[in-house]
Amino acid sequence: MLEISNLRVHFDLNGTIVKALCGVTFGVGPKETLVVAGESGSGKTVTALTVTRLLPASARIISGEIYFDGEDLLSLEEDALRKVRGKEIAYVFQEPGTFLNPVYTVGNQIMEPLLLHQGLSRAEAFAEALRLIALVQIKEGRRVFFSYPHQLSGGMNQRIGIAMSLACRPRLLIADEPTTSLDVTTESEILDLLCELKDNFGFSLLFITHNLSIARRIADRICVMYKGVVVEEADTERIFSSPRHFHTMELIQAYQAIGTL
Amino acid sequence: MRMNKLLCAGIAIIGFLGVLAILAPFISPYEPSLIDSTNLLTPPSYAHPLGTDSLGRDLLSRIIYGARISLSIGIIAVGISLLIGVIAGSIAGYSGGLTDSVIMRCADIVLCFPTFFLILAVVAVLEPSIINIMVIIGLTSWMGIARLIRSEILSLKEREFIQAAKAIGASHIRIICRHLLPNAMGPVFVNATLGIAGAILLESALSFLGLGVQPPVPSWGNILIESKATLGVAWWITLFPGLAIFVTILGFNFIAEGLKKQWGYNA
Amino acid sequence: MIIHATHISKYFSVEGGMYKRRTGLVRALEDVSFSVEEFSTLGIVGESGSGKTTLAKIVARLIAPTKGTVEFDSGRINNFRKDVQVIFQNPYASLDPKMRIKDALYEPLLIHRLAAPRQLRDKALELLDIVGMGEDALGRFPAEFSGGQRQRICIARALATQPKCIILDEPISSLDLTIQLKLLDLLLRVKEEFRLTYLFISHNLSVIKYMADSVIVLKEGRIVEQGGMHELFSHPSHPYTQNLLRSARR
Repeated sequence: MLEISNLRVHFDLNGTIVKALCGVTFGVGPKETLVVAGESGSGKTVTALTVTRLLPASARIISGEIYFDGEDLLSLEEDALRKVRGKEIAYVFQEPGTFLNPVYTVGNQIMEPLLLHQGLSRAEAFAEALRLIALVQIKEGRRVFFSYPHQLSGGMNQRIGIAMSLACRPRLLIADEPTTSLDVTTESEILDLLCELKDNFGFSLLFITHNLSIARRIADRICVMYKGVVVEEADTERIFSSPRHFHTMELIQAYQAIGTL
Repeated sequence: MRMNKLLCAGIAIIGFLGVLAILAPFISPYEPSLIDSTNLLTPPSYAHPLGTDSLGRDLLSRIIYGARISLSIGIIAVGISLLIGVIAGSIAGYSGGLTDSVIMRCADIVLCFPTFFLILAVVAVLEPSIINIMVIIGLTSWMGIARLIRSEILSLKEREFIQAAKAIGASHIRIICRHLLPNAMGPVFVNATLGIAGAILLESALSFLGLGVQPPVPSWGNILIESKATLGVAWWITLFPGLAIFVTILGFNFIAEGLKKQWGYNA
Repeated sequence: MIIHATHISKYFSVEGGMYKRRTGLVRALEDVSFSVEEFSTLGIVGESGSGKTTLAKIVARLIAPTKGTVEFDSGRINNFRKDVQVIFQNPYASLDPKMRIKDALYEPLLIHRLAAPRQLRDKALELLDIVGMGEDALGRFPAEFSGGQRQRICIARALATQPKCIILDEPISSLDLTIQLKLLDLLLRVKEEFRLTYLFISHNLSVIKYMADSVIVLKEGRIVEQGGMHELFSHPSHPYTQNLLRSARR
């Protein structure tokens, strides 16, 4: 469904060229969970942002193709791309606190894409927003609807983030380390929620993480990234039972020594 | 790292003026106080590129020598205020508590004085010599620097590298001088550069009122005194010293603004 | 016993209102006692807000406890700032950004007069070599290094004074897991080589398990469980510890 091939992205930082991606190739199938695992600086976040060109101004896409359902996203005009963003491909980001605007209630912010993309009336949007809040397993939906982001916990805000990303029924959800800033118990709940929603809605999930225990738990397939390239890509089972690339081995070794009990 | 254009322009202007000031005896065409009664109030000409004043003294030479006085007053006055400000501010910020309160309340008190009238009063009592002007400007302009240093140090001293320095056994003096000040001085230099411009302006104003540098020693302010009487007949006596002051202030402001950009402050 | 802490409490008063009246009291630590055997590693584990960093600072004499005392074996430790070193959590913040690496390494040597000016460079090179870094690091600034490399430099700086005991406050938690593992192995190696005692603080139970001989579990400023590494992991007695273990194993 999503096909990325030979993607190369450089950053131009005041004249110094930083090669973030040096030929990344992988694909995500329908209803599949693909985990991109890698450490900081491996290029996993840049890859996720490049899919709908959400990159900062200093980034240059040097080469590569990104096909989504046969459509070349990299050659799409900005206007056409905006229709894909949010509607077909939605994001969940790392810091649940920062993507929500602190001066609006969360309900207001969930309603916004419904009014914009779906063309619902305010009453319909309100009902739909409450339904979405219920969908991410928040009790007391009405109270939460009228709360501001700072009044809610990090886990709660991340649930709201997920509800917002589901508003337009995307077919691909890209989650960039959505649980990294949460504590262990909340992390586990959010992961369960994501997997459950994925089964119910039938979207594909591109999940980015540095944490191999999360990868092991949710992935159908795992892509290991290192220094801007995919060094290994295989079924979850195979990655853990017989890793081939030295970096995958290194990751698994560290994970087994100090990443798990 | 490349220097930005503003900083380059500022350094070029001030550098040029500095060279003029230092080399004044070699490049000025005449003695600055040489009175030439045959050439009173002559407009700019080949012999006198910027004209002469009512005593026939060469204006270009006076402005070049004036640069010495004006620049050195600006730099030394700010040097004095830097010295007081940095010491007061770093002691206040580092020790905190009562010491901090006492030092900062002193700063507040000095800040409450209407500086210009204070200087007028002090100069009226003492005699208006160059040294006195430098000292009095320095003594009344250290508070901004002290506040800046204090707030920088307050935030820096909570940083881990200061804790780390304590943990390896560094003394208080060492922590302040080797770790805190080098990290706190950036914004202070920006502020001080602006301060030099301010001090030069203040000196000009004082001299213009006759309470600054005393003739026959030329300073840009006291060259302008004469322009009061001769504005109608000799425009050059007003224009050129004014321009010198303007360009100098501009140069220092460019440097301050350029440094800010270079080091990435948005203060 | 090289470190012996008895009944340590630390309260922070909360000031509010116009006249800075004391409006509340935060009990960061409440009656904490423990001791550390020479050449062993004591792990202190707890979640954020458990008071573990406060405890580290008290043991390092960077802040004073409200009650209680920390004693050090005077036969082993006579010059505290030389014999006890601290490595902090954030390698990005614990090196002075305006100081070259060589100056950061010379500083402890100069303060404690451990090397003559002519030996400084050789001594610094020797320290860098121990932590697996080369000569080219000397003239550079901290900003030119990655988090893992900076933490290596911090370890080198701590070793400069030939300490007996090092307090490590979450020294690796901000780094990638593979880098963490390499640093932990480095720390284990220098511990053997220089016969060190560690006080190792972490929120990560698996890291504690990797490093420590005995462990104390802190919760809201109190010790909830204390004992040998093996007993704690096989038979946790306190429900809080059981819960920690369960969520780490998930």
